Amino acid sequence: MREFRLPGSAGLLMVLLAACNGGEGPLVRDGAGLFTEQQRQQLEVHHRFLLLDHDIDYRVVTTRGGNDIDLAALEHFEALSAGARSSRGRGLLLLFDGERQEVRLEVGYALEGTFPDAFVAYVEQRQMVPFFVENRISDGILASTELIVERAQRASENASWDDEIWLAGSGGAGASASTRTAPGFTTRPASSTHNPVSASARSPKDVVAAYLDAMRRRDNSPELDIYTPESRSMMREWLITPAQMDQVARTYAGCSREELRYSHSSDSAVIRYPIAQRQCAPWFLIRGDEGWQLDLTMQQKAIRFGRNNAWRFDFSSDHPYGFAFEDWVLDGNGFPIRSRDED
Amino acid sequence: MAEEQVRGTDAQSRIERMEQSGLISRQQADRLRAGLTAGAGEPDPSRYGATRRSMPLIAATAVVVLVFVLYVFFAMPPGGGPEVVQDVSSSLNQPETVGAMNKFLSLSIAIFVLVVVPAIILAASYNSLVNKEEAVLTNWGQVESQFQRRADLIPALVESVTRYLGHERETLTEITARRQPDLDRLAEAVDRLAAGQQQVAEARGEDESLIEDQEALTRLFAGSAAVGKDIEGLLAVVEDYPDLASSDQFLELQAQLEGTENRINVARLRFNQAVGEFNSAMRRIPGNLAAGLGGFRRKAYFKADDGSGEADESLFE
Repeated sequence: MREFRLPGSAGLLMVLLAACNGGEGPLVRDGAGLFTEQQRQQLEVHHRFLLLDHDIDYRVVTTRGGNDIDLAALEHFEALSAGARSSRGRGLLLLFDGERQEVRLEVGYALEGTFPDAFVAYVEQRQMVPFFVENRISDGILASTELIVERAQRASENASWDDEIWLAGSGGAGASASTRTAPGFTTRPASSTHNPVSASARSPKDVVAAYLDAMRRRDNSPELDIYTPESRSMMREWLITPAQMDQVARTYAGCSREELRYSHSSDSAVIRYPIAQRQCAPWFLIRGDEGWQLDLTMQQKAIRFGRNNAWRFDFSSDHPYGFAFEDWVLDGNGFPIRSRDED
Repeated sequence: MAEEQVRGTDAQSRIERMEQSGLISRQQADRLRAGLTAGAGEPDPSRYGATRRSMPLIAATAVVVLVFVLYVFFAMPPGGGPEVVQDVSSSLNQPETVGAMNKFLSLSIAIFVLVVVPAIILAASYNSLVNKEEAVLTNWGQVESQFQRRADLIPALVESVTRYLGHERETLTEITARRQPDLDRLAEAVDRLAAGQQQVAEARGEDESLIEDQEALTRLFAGSAAVGKDIEGLLAVVEDYPDLASSDQFLELQAQLEGTENRINVARLRFNQAVGEFNSAMRRIPGNLAAGLGGFRRKAYFKADDGSGEADESLFE
């Protein structure tokens, strides 16, 4: 699963923040004091990039013990003029009441078609709330922003997306959720995976197919035999939400022309996709006593995702899977840009 | 609008499907159908007298101003042709007398102050009332639109719950006895919801000047609140079925219904705010004069009957 970390150091964060601040006041108002300064800045930067890339003015407000969350969100939306910083009036406001343990994502008129109530409820219940239940408020917000970005990217493929200009404001669209429990979500379900192919007979492609099948079924069990023992240990500490599993399944459903590459010793393998498919990160696999297994530990260290969900290598991490990418040219940030064969 | 039509057609076919498969009774189906049709669509301004006031005050003001301009033009003392040096002796004030120019100016100023200025103020006040009334109608349109949205969603909710429980009854025969009370609760909840929805639809459709009738609007508010409670009652039945309650399909439906309830609430608050502004303007001077001349009528608040007669909570104060 993806971490919510921006490229570069905290210093870079500060520079980015200063560069895009523009003196218009913060997008994140932590009245309840729930975020560390670093978390607040991280949210601020992500949301400024959302404004920059997709013209969406996304505010975050935390309070303690306010009024009815639905009305309070609308009041904040009006008071902060959410959407006013977007040239097309696209406004979102997330209100989290730390005392009532409730969250609401208020959607402005301009985005009602892109983010209907059902989608907002899905984002809250299937992505945000599982993090909130574990008191990881900032992570929950960042994780949900990822889904918002994905949705906005798809919307921007529609020609009319940029033509519509709305007045900022909200008519009460959006959804609310209690953050005390995440209905229908278990963080450590018993494994229910049925592998039609025995572990030893599985090819790397079979393993990836089994993993994607588990994601489609929202099976986040770390005990599946398609993971290396290290990956299982790591996954036991992970929070994998239903929305994240859906996102993986959805993303890879659109990936094609995968290519399998083995190491010289044939005990490790990589499944990669064409460079143009920027969101289809490669899979790292290793052959152990139980046959081919996903090396998610190394994937987690070596691969990062940019703000448009495009993957890149993290140069600060060494990994033994470089053999599969020797024919690719990477840019300074680790994004693959072209194949050497094209030179 | 096209989306609303599709939703409406979809709701009709749902009701038909449920009736045919025996998930709901004929009476329930009829009530749900009634909830879909009555009072649908945007409010017609003529229904509230907004267009019958065909600008008499504006026309009267225009006539007054025109007459005044003509008067100034023709009543101004003649100065003679361009070849004649103007003889101002009769225009100037002489000892013990008042010149023609002075008389003309005095009379003009008096007419301007006493007739033209009030007419202009009255016309401006009239226009302001028209704008405020339009705001009331627009906001009521939002309320109606959300009512319609809710009416279209209710059959989907009923179908989702009744079909799920019906399926359970068929497949899990050994627990039917245990589930029977739930099925009874469900039938009652559907009954209440369908009846409430029909009442709301009738209340929306029956009154030709609904938003000017406080009693009717209070009744509609009570009916609407009851439907909201009935929806909650139906959702409460579902809470005993975690598989259904936590499914994505049900989450989606629930989100749409809750979203619609919230939109109704927001639209209601904005409508009440617009009504407050309109009614206040009508009571102030010179709004009360313009309202009397223009035939404006006080608008009703869409709220519970708390006996105060004033607007309830406002979002934007």
